[in-house]
Amino acid sequence: MESFQQAFDLLISLDKELLQIIGVTLRMSFFSTTISCLLGLPLGALIGTRSFRGKSFLKKLIHTLMGLPPVVAGLFVYVLFTHYGPFGSLNLLFTVKVMVIAQVILITPIVIGLSSSFIEGTSKPVIDTARGLGLSKAKTVGLCLSEGRSSLLSVVLSAFGRSIAEVGAVSIVGGNIQWKTRVMTTAIMLETNKGKFSFALALGIILLLIGFAVNALASFIVKEPADD
Amino acid sequence: MIEIRDLKKCYGERTVLDLPELTVGDGEALAFAGPNGSGKTTLLRLLAELLKSSGGTVKKPDKALYMPQQSYAFKGDLVRNITVTGCEKSEAKRLLEKLELSHLAEKKAASLSGGELQRLSLCRVLSVPCELLLLDEPTSACDAKGAALVIEAIKAYQKETGCTVLMSTHSPVLAAKAADRLIILNGGRIEADGEPKRILMNPENEWAEHFIAGWKI
Ligand SMILES: Nc1ncnc2c1ncn2[C@@H]1O[C@H](COP(=O)(O)OP(=O)(O)OP(=O)(O)O)[C@@H](O)[C@H]1O
Ligand SMILES: [Mg+2]
Repeated sequence: MESFQQAFDLLISLDKELLQIIGVTLRMSFFSTTISCLLGLPLGALIGTRSFRGKSFLKKLIHTLMGLPPVVAGLFVYVLFTHYGPFGSLNLLFTVKVMVIAQVILITPIVIGLSSSFIEGTSKPVIDTARGLGLSKAKTVGLCLSEGRSSLLSVVLSAFGRSIAEVGAVSIVGGNIQWKTRVMTTAIMLETNKGKFSFALALGIILLLIGFAVNALASFIVKEPADD
Repeated sequence: MIEIRDLKKCYGERTVLDLPELTVGDGEALAFAGPNGSGKTTLLRLLAELLKSSGGTVKKPDKALYMPQQSYAFKGDLVRNITVTGCEKSEAKRLLEKLELSHLAEKKAASLSGGELQRLSLCRVLSVPCELLLLDEPTSACDAKGAALVIEAIKAYQKETGCTVLMSTHSPVLAAKAADRLIILNGGRIEADGEPKRILMNPENEWAEHFIAGWKI
């Protein structure tokens, strides 16, 4: 109860540091989700609508990568971008950019895996019908996407949820630096470690509220009218 | 004109369609009948280029339309389900009227009954002109009245466009009323080929006779 009060107080006080942390979190999650979906949805559509040699192996690989532990992804990106690593000269370690890179590695397989199986399950009759009508390839793909839009929306939201809730990778490559790379989850970790449980919980509540607001906004944009 | 030579479709060892020679004239209305799995859908999908053949050649008009055996309802109302083809709204409404679906025009297509959805699916394919119309069991879900509407609409469309019509069916009514030629398939091969009434009355071989007998009450 105390935490709810605290969460509420924090929100209305518009605490500068809190707002900054929320800003970094949203910026990171927005870019991670957008890039993962831009890469993953077309690939998922491709895999879901075609049959080719090695497809089942590729699917197994993607499903394995869907379970990639965040710390492993974080470590991998850390090694690549550390001072002596192959991309060390870019000086990206401990920035939001590299956090986005780590998350894209983590989330893209999830987007590919989920969207390809959704599209595989729903698009065959759509493709048959559309191509039977002599519609163009572009129009057919458009119909597949619009017919599957509610399941694709939940793919995008899963990606966003994974991004905003993730700690392992972002804490390794981002370093949880105050005013710079600290996000909601790493802030919660820090407060928990300091023993300030109710403050940490308050942050957790705010994180959930953000998640809820994004979900509500998304389902408002992709409105699915009820059947009458 | 459709000219088929040595057309084959195999899955592994199994040959599900084997047509050494088949010619269909322009403007003809041809029905295929035959038991489940005899290759009717396979042939139509090959002609619609939704399936790759395992060999042989097919000459056919460029502009072909195909209505699948399983009707699909796109999201949205009936009118939108037809205008996805790019036709005018007024054309969609005219077709709905013709197939007695006007009273449902504003309803979601997903809420239609099986027979209503099949008639909608026909409206959709008839909203575009073509040279070759491929219909996979267009009356399978319809009652007698619905089937009559479907047959009427197919005939009107054919008169208007002068297209060739190929349809598969399990209905002697459709074969006799909408087609001027009937082919009976068995295991991917032609058992009988000729004028529908003649084949229905007097099938030319024993297997076809047995099959036709199953159609009678
Ligand atoms: N992808 C596939 N792999 C293996 N066999 C297949 C495949 N698709 C179809 N077949 C086989 O090809 C045969 C012909 O099927 P087709 O769909 O053409 O039959 P049909 O005459 O349309 O039957 P129905 O009256 O039930 O619609 C069937 O025995 C079917 O099992
Ligand atoms: Mg069939």
